[in-house]
Amino acid sequence: MASLGGLVRLVTRNAGVLGNVSRSGIRRTAVTFSVNHRASLAATEDRSRSILPQVKPVRPMLCYSTTSQKQSIKQIEERVLKVVAAYDKISADKVRANQVRHYSAKAPMTLELIRERVILVLKLYDKIDHAKLDLNSHFIEDLGLDSLDHVEVIMAMEDEFGFEIPDRDAERLTKPAEIVRYIADKEDVYE
Amino acid sequence: MAQRTKVIELYKTLLHLGKDYPKGYTYFRTNLKKIFTKNKDENDPQKIEKMLEHGQYVIKELEALYMLRKYRTLKKRYYS
Repeated sequence: MASLGGLVRLVTRNAGVLGNVSRSGIRRTAVTFSVNHRASLAATEDRSRSILPQVKPVRPMLCYSTTSQKQSIKQIEERVLKVVAAYDKISADKVRANQVRHYSAKAPMTLELIRERVILVLKLYDKIDHAKLDLNSHFIEDLGLDSLDHVEVIMAMEDEFGFEIPDRDAERLTKPAEIVRYIADKEDVYE
Repeated sequence: MAQRTKVIELYKTLLHLGKDYPKGYTYFRTNLKKIFTKNKDENDPQKIEKMLEHGQYVIKELEALYMLRKYRTLKKRYYS
C-alpha cells in the first residue's frame, strides 16, 4: 500500500512536469494523498532511498583527489612554467602581430598643398586650357569660361575639399588664387 | 534675391540632382548647359521668372523619377 501511494504520487508529479496532466487527475491524486498521507510519507522516505541513486552519499573510493598523491611545490612549479613557456612561444613569436595603432586624421594642409590641389582640379576640368592656366588668371576673362562653367568649377572644389561653398562667396571667387585663399581661411591654414 | 543668383542656384541644384541621372552625369550636364545657354540672352524679367518656375518643375520631375526608380528597384528585388 505504501509503495502504491508513492508510485501514484511520482507518476502525477512527472506528468505535472510534462504539463499534460488533467485537472481531475490532480484532484484525485490530492485525495489519494490525503487518504494515504502517512503511507505516502513513508513512500517519500522509501523513494529517497531507492529511486534516486545519484543522491546517495559519495563513497570515498570513487572521488578523485589531488591531495591523495601530494606533489611537491617544486613539481607544481615546473609544470606551470612548462605550460606558460609553451603558450609564450606560440603567442609571442607566431600568432600575435606586431601591434601598432593607426590613427587617421585629415590630410595635412599647407598653402602649397592647397595650391597644388586647386590647380590639379582645374587641370582635370576639360574646358580649361592648360597653357593659359595660372594662379592669377581670371576664370571668365582669361580662361574663357562662362558663369555656368564657373558654378561647375566651384562644385568641383566643394567635392575636392569636402565642404560647401555658399553662392554668395562663390561669385567672388574669380581666380584660382582667391579660391586658395578662401579654402585656407576656412581650414585655418596660415602657412 | 536677384534673378541672376536664382538662375545660378537653380543650375547648381540641377547639377547636383543630375549626378544620379540614368543616362549618366555627362549627358545630363551637357544638355543642361545647352538649355541654359540657349536662353542666356533673355532680358524680360517676367519670361525669366517663367523659366525659373519651369526649372522648379524640372526639379520636381527629377525627384519623382528617382523615387520611381527606387520603388521599381525595391519591387523587383522583393516581389518578382
